[in-house]
Amino acid sequence: MRLLFLTCFFSLSLLWAANPTPQQASEDVETEFADKTSEALFDPLEGYNRFMTDVNDHFYEYLLRPTAQGYAYLVPESARKGLSNAFENLFFPIRFVNNLLQFKWLNAFEESERFVLNSTMGILGFRDVAAEELHIYAHDEDFGQTLGAYGVGSGFHIVLPIIGPSNARDLVGLAGDYWLNPLTYIEARDANMVDNTAESLGVTAFYMINRTSLHVNEYDSLKKDAIELYPFLRDIYESRRNKLISE
Amino acid sequence: MLQKLLSGIWVMLVCAHSLLALPESDITPFMRSNIDLATSILRNTHLSKPERSGKIFAIFDSVFDYTLMAKLSIGAKQWESLSSEKQHEFTKLFEMRLKNSYMEKLDLYTDEKIVIKNLEKIKDTRIHLTTHLMKNGEVYEIIYKFYKTANAGEWMIYDVDILGVSIIQTYRTQFAEILAKEPFDQLLARLKEPEPADTKKAPQ
Repeated sequence: MRLLFLTCFFSLSLLWAANPTPQQASEDVETEFADKTSEALFDPLEGYNRFMTDVNDHFYEYLLRPTAQGYAYLVPESARKGLSNAFENLFFPIRFVNNLLQFKWLNAFEESERFVLNSTMGILGFRDVAAEELHIYAHDEDFGQTLGAYGVGSGFHIVLPIIGPSNARDLVGLAGDYWLNPLTYIEARDANMVDNTAESLGVTAFYMINRTSLHVNEYDSLKKDAIELYPFLRDIYESRRNKLISE
Repeated sequence: MLQKLLSGIWVMLVCAHSLLALPESDITPFMRSNIDLATSILRNTHLSKPERSGKIFAIFDSVFDYTLMAKLSIGAKQWESLSSEKQHEFTKLFEMRLKNSYMEKLDLYTDEKIVIKNLEKIKDTRIHLTTHLMKNGEVYEIIYKFYKTANAGEWMIYDVDILGVSIIQTYRTQFAEILAKEPFDQLLARLKEPEPADTKKAPQ
């Protein structure tokens, strides 16, 4: 009996000793996290940004999502995926040039391989044969990331209409990529499928609806995690961009 | 007699050890076998969603330090200013929120594969376990961040990085913004909301 008692006592004291004491250990864990409130962060456009976050959220809730869902109801997922592949294939110049600008020679080469393979065997890029058959994956790079890789800081945060969170650096990046985006060059020519600027804007809108239709659940689920939408999205955007630049 | 006592102690020692501690050498095997187990639970369509998540939480609860996560999310300064009841209430609400958010994500789960990529010792008291989630040929990087508890040899998770976004940091930023404008009880109330759908109507 006494033996049992003793062993119990010993093991209990061991349990007690092994119990984590977060108070002691957490002191230096705390230093890994930054205080990224609007006051601590350089966020001169906070008021406007909050307003635009609201506008974009309404745009998404009442226009973009219902449209994308209706579209998804009519068009099967495989077709939407194919269209998404075709669009991504068109954006090849953006990825190619920015990989080159970051001296990522192999990635730039693989991007070229992908473009050739997917445009031909993949039938205008509808099928991503390069990834499916040869396991050559896309290397997403844009001019914002290139600037980041050169050491340009992110600057102030800005929420753009419809496009969403961005910052000073990525705004310049967007302008740079605009010139590399084939959709920019869709204009009224006899040989073109679209006849005027309105229709070329329509193509961009269609790209957006198609892309949204494939990611509605992801975005909704992400949004449910937010308690305050603006700082939540700002934090995610900036952290994600930093990660992409570091890769 | 003495021998019996010693062997008894030894047995108890082993038991206590396996109950709590996650030594460094066990992190990878523990996570690998339990991620595999969790994957098979997720694929088990015979179980309801709460059943599946319940089983998964039972596996991982022992390695997640929810108290520390809660504390980090509002910051030590704020934490110290709270009574222990408030600290406890907040921790429970925060833990529930993390779990609810995880359960939401289960709906998105189809046939992803999760593999452990590498375990990196950042410093004496930190380990980052990098895992890759594969979906439609795309790779999503998830990093589990472990710290060494005050008791040597034991490791627990204090944060998870998804695609470079720290979960704790996103909460920390939001809580700081909220607490700059509202009292702590208001934050508790907002955490209690079953569906935080009112984000856009948040008071400025």
